[in-house]
Formats: sequence, structure tokens, C-alpha cells
Amino acid sequence: MKKLFSLLSILMIASLLLSACGTQAPASSEPKVLRVWIQWGDNPQQIQTLFDKYTAETGIKVEVTAPLEVDKILPALTGSEPPDILVLSGGDLVKSYYKEGLVDELSPAIKSGSIDLTDFFDAPLQQCKMGDKILCLPWGSDMYALFWNKDLFEAAGLDPNTPPATMEQLAEFSDKLTKVNPDGTLEQIGFLPDQGWGHSELYTNMFGGFWYNEDGTKITANTQPVIDALKWEQQFYTKYGVDNVMAFSSGWADAYMSGDYPFYTGKLAMYVDGEWMTGPNFISKFKPEASYGVAAFPPPADHPERANTGVASGTVAVIPSGAADKEASAKLLAWMMSPAIVAEEFCFNANLPTSKKAAEDPCFTSNPKFKVFMDLMANPNAKVVVTTPISLEFNDAWTLLEEQVLHTGADPQPLLEKLQADFEPKLAESLK
Amino acid sequence: MDELRMTDQKIWPPRFRKWSRRERDNFKIGMLFLLPWTIGFLVFTLYPMLASLVYSFAVYHARQPLEWVGLKNYIDLFQDDLFWTALYNTLYMVVIGVPLTLLASFFCAILLNLKVRGQAFYRVVYFLPSIVPTVASTILWLWILNPQAGILNTVLGYIGIHGPNWMSNPAWSKPGLIMLGLWGMGNTIIIYLSGLQDVSVSLLEAAELDGANWWQRLWHVTVPMVSPITLFNLITGVIAMFQYFAQAYVFRGFQNLGYPLNSTLFYSVLLYQNAFQWLKMGYASAMAWVLFIIILVCTLLLLKISDKFTYYAG
Repeated sequence: MKKLFSLLSILMIASLLLSACGTQAPASSEPKVLRVWIQWGDNPQQIQTLFDKYTAETGIKVEVTAPLEVDKILPALTGSEPPDILVLSGGDLVKSYYKEGLVDELSPAIKSGSIDLTDFFDAPLQQCKMGDKILCLPWGSDMYALFWNKDLFEAAGLDPNTPPATMEQLAEFSDKLTKVNPDGTLEQIGFLPDQGWGHSELYTNMFGGFWYNEDGTKITANTQPVIDALKWEQQFYTKYGVDNVMAFSSGWADAYMSGDYPFYTGKLAMYVDGEWMTGPNFISKFKPEASYGVAAFPPPADHPERANTGVASGTVAVIPSGAADKEASAKLLAWMMSPAIVAEEFCFNANLPTSKKAAEDPCFTSNPKFKVFMDLMANPNAKVVVTTPISLEFNDAWTLLEEQVLHTGADPQPLLEKLQADFEPKLAESLK
Repeated sequence: MDELRMTDQKIWPPRFRKWSRRERDNFKIGMLFLLPWTIGFLVFTLYPMLASLVYSFAVYHARQPLEWVGLKNYIDLFQDDLFWTALYNTLYMVVIGVPLTLLASFFCAILLNLKVRGQAFYRVVYFLPSIVPTVASTILWLWILNPQAGILNTVLGYIGIHGPNWMSNPAWSKPGLIMLGLWGMGNTIIIYLSGLQDVSVSLLEAAELDGANWWQRLWHVTVPMVSPITLFNLITGVIAMFQYFAQAYVFRGFQNLGYPLNSTLFYSVLLYQNAFQWLKMGYASAMAWVLFIIILVCTLLLLKISDKFTYYAG
């Protein structure tokens, strides 16, 4: 009896210690299972089916895990068995992960997997570059454009097929499309600049700047284009009354995936949204009879050369630095980035393919509304959301500032000065 | 006196005798049964706690050694606007939310303690919301509080009240969350209910014979008799509220954490942001230890103050 207990205790402690130490069997030359983690992913089954094709071609099994909360990613990357490929929802985290040594610089993988960088659209690839290093590869991309409700245009006496040509005209159209009740409350609103979420990166680029310089080494939050963009956005709140607009639009964001979305119910005439809305899972699902138009967001009147400016963002793939077999990761990455696979995945999800060859697939060109976004990405004016190692923290501060300006009517300039002062040292520190 | 000391010495220190074989075996069996918990505690609680204490004095780099910064994280914390915003929001919930929950659940418990037909049914109805998972109930409340389509503002509209923008007005977001909490107070009610059943009937009858009315019996007999239960509910409520996270995480819907205007940026939410989104694990660890100290001080303070207000029968 006594011996049995001692033996049991020792066995239990020993097994626990062994597992805690993370002793691993030496990796075989060709791992049998590769693990792909995808942060975004509404339809994990479809993604798994896609990667099953890789298994059919190579005999290497691929396990897909999607979707993921951000708090699962960090422990996985720091742990002893990170995924072989990680697909992030945006480029925001890549530089901070790289700085912490959690993801690899991809030049070796690009070389060993013979990945053709010239096949990538320039704008989405830009978000993966840090100096001359490439830290990620864009898989799918998003662009944003102006959506307008043709029925409401007609009712307001506007030509339903002609969207506003300038940002100034957009504001005039908005006035015509806004219906105010005698008590000041709203019945219909012409344009809401931050419907769903903020789009300041688009407006700021239209005013000729951004809150970072082009290579993301300096914060330029207190510059004129940023101030102008926020003031331009703010007018849609202040002139109809901040409280009225807030009361009218409260809860709209939560109706995004339903037929109650204000754009469908005729409460909102114009707003900015992404390419997926023109695909099978949104407007044609929730409001198939909607009569709407999509066009590139207009430039300011005094800068017609900025027409067709779009700002790309989207999913990017990285190889964790702790991945067991980099060669195998690189091969799978190359396969993921091949035009046929990119076309299949993003045709299904109605997102923009980042591969130029994939973009020739009729799936992306046959729908004229979707093509508006494809053209924006191919346009030389296409820009990218500049990222830095402090992107996420800065974005949260930016979102708060945007809320203060739009939802309380605060003067943007002093807030931007403070933001600049707060984050200048943080960025400098992060780039050391 | 000497005699007393002599007696004391007989009891203390105790004299150890050699254990019998049976006692030794029993001890080992007991230890073996304790082992799973002990290992769980050491590996998953004590080790992470101590590690976070160490990290709180450093900049944490995932794959590189810790970079020691001394008290910098703590100093930065007290100069961080977001820290004070989060602390204010959390204290708001503690100071307003917890007493309100205690009061509401106490009165619910009194009602559920009345001998009426269908008593069991009412008890089930009041307890049911607390078995709904937090995330599900929060999403449900997102719809209840929806200013356009929500049932609450619709009902308020029937009686002529123009309901507020619960989710986008920073003045109403925390009251909205407190309401959500009140809806799920079944556990507190159950604990009060058990306490109410311990209130001595003879005391209540004696008070009644002395001419005390319902209110006086409640105030002078029931409330003091359940005061230990109140203290327990208060302390567990305060601790839980300081760690308030899941509801706030879900409540913003599609918006950023803290929406609107950082009015739902609670302490744990900011800690989560720092740790997992901004990768400032050392800073987040410092936040965790400051929270630990705040909770410890609050609990000790409550225990100290409670001496005057708590009555332990017997």
C-alpha cells in the first residue's frame, strides 16, 4: 500500500513536470500536420475545405483554426508550438509582433517558396513592408467606397445615377437628403461619416495626408489634412445637431447583419462601406430589392487629381518565428498566395484578391458594383493604412478622439495636439 | 496565575507522538487527494501570480529576456489618463452598482420568502436569469436597450418617456450595465433567502407582541439578523465588480472597447487591452497588482467597518 502511494505520487509529479518542460520529440523532416490559424473567419468549414486541397496535392494535412480572439494569439506565438501560418485580420499587429521577435521576416520564405511579389497589388503589399523588410503577405484586401440609395435620391429630386462629384457636393446632397421633424429630431439623414465604424483614413487621404508619414516613422496627427478631414466629418453631426444625430443613429452599428440596417430601411441615404457589401452575403441577402449605387469616394473640389483614391487594408499572413518547420510553412504560404487559391477564397467571401492574376477571374469583374472596388485597388492613387509597432494602441486613442470630435462636437485641433504629444515619444521608443 | 500557566504549558506546545502506521497511511491518502488541487494551485495560480509580480517591474519581451525598469510601470500607471478613467468607471460600478444590487436582491428575497401560492415558481423565475451565460445575457440586453428597436425604450415610450441612448450616450452606458447586473442577481437572492430563513421566528414574534409594525420588525430584527449575509454579499460583490470584464467586453457590440467615449473602459478591460492588444504585458502586470492591492484594502476596510454593523448571533 505504502509503496503504491509513493509510486503514484512520484508518477503524477514526474508526468506533470515533463509536460511542463515542453520536451518535444525531435521534429521529423516533413511534418505530417500543418496548423493554420485565421483571426477572421466567418465560415471555418469553407476555409478547411480550401486547405484540404493542399492535402490532396501534397499529402500534408492542414488543420485550420478560425476565428480567433486576439488574446489567443499572443500566448500561441510565445508558446512552444505556435501555428505554422497565422493569418491576421489586418496589418496593425504585424510590426509589433515582429519587434517582439514573434514573427519572421519573410524574405527567406518568399525565396524558398518562389513567391512572385510582382503579382501583388501594390497598396495591400505596402502594409507588410517595414523599410526594405517584408513582414507579411496580404491575402485578401478591402477597399471602401460611397454607397447611395437611389430611391432616396429620386425622392429628394436628385439624379439617382449621379453620385456627388466632390466632397463639398456630398455635403450639399446630404442637406437635401436629410429630413428634420418640426421638433428637431431626424427622420432621414443624408450622410453619416462614421456609419458602422470610422473612415477617417479615407477622408484624411482625400485631404492629402495621414496621421503617419508614408514610411510610418513619424506621427503627423496635428497636420492640416487631419484637422480638415475631422472638421469635414464633424459638420454632418453639428449642423443637424449632435444629440439629434446620436439619438437617430444609436444602435445602427449592431444592425449591420440584418434587414434593419438603416441603409436598407431608407433612414440613411449615403455612407461609406467595403466591397463585401456588393457580394452575396449582405445587401442581396438582407435587402435584395434595394436600389443602390456604388462609386469611388469623391475628392475635394480643389484637388480633382485625388479622384479614385482608396485606402487598402485587409488580411495578411505571417510565419511565426517559433514555427517548427519553416520550409513547410513557406511552401504552404506560397500555395496560399497562388492566384487560383486566392481567387477561390476571395470569390467565395466577396473580398478583393491581392493577386493581380487572380483579379482577372470573371468572378471579380462580372459584377460592376464589385468592380468599382477592384478598380480602386488597381488605381495608382490607391493608398494603404500606414502601420507602426504601436498601431493598435494609437488606433484606440484615435477612435476615442474621433468619437470626441464627432459625437460631442469637440474642436479637433487641441485634441490632435495632445495625441501628437502623447504618441510621438511612444513611436520613437518603439522604433528604436 | 502560576497554576494557569502550568495548564497552558500542558496544552501548548503540543507533544508530538509517533504516528501509527494507520495514521501515516491516512495522511498519505489525504495528501494524494489534495494533490490535484495543490498542483493546480501552484502551477495555474501561484506561479502566474508570482510571475506577474516579477513582470510588473520589467518590460516584457516575448522571446527576449525581461528588461528591468524598476518602478517605471507603476509610476507611468499613475500618470496614465486611461488608468484614472478606468478606475473612475470601475469605482462608479462598485459604489453605485453593488449597493443597488444588494438592496434589490434583499427586497426580492423578502418577497420570495412570503408564504404565497406559487412561491417555488416565483423563486425559479427570479433565479433563471443567473443561469444564462454572461455573453448570451449581455447580447440579449443589447437588444433590450437598443434605443430604436429595444423593448425598454418602446415601453418607456408608451408611458410618455423618451428613453435615452443607452449604448451611445456615455451618461447612460454604465446605468445600462448596472440594470443588466440587476437582472442576473439570482445568486445573491438565494444567499439572502437562506439567511432570511435563519431569522429567528421567536424574535419576530416577540417584536410583534411588543407592538412593532412590519417596517420596525424588518429594520430592527431582520436586517441585523442577516447582516453577516449582507457583509458576505457586499465583499464578494465588490471583488467581482472590481474585476468587471465580460459584460463590458460584449456590451460595446461592434464598437471599440470602452465605447461610448471610454465610459465602459473598466479596469480589467484596460488591463486586457494593455496585455493582449498593445503587448505591454509588464505594464498590465503592474495594473493587476495595483488592482490586487485596491481590492485587498477595500476588503479589509469593509471588514473593519463591518464590526459596528454586523451582528453574529451566538
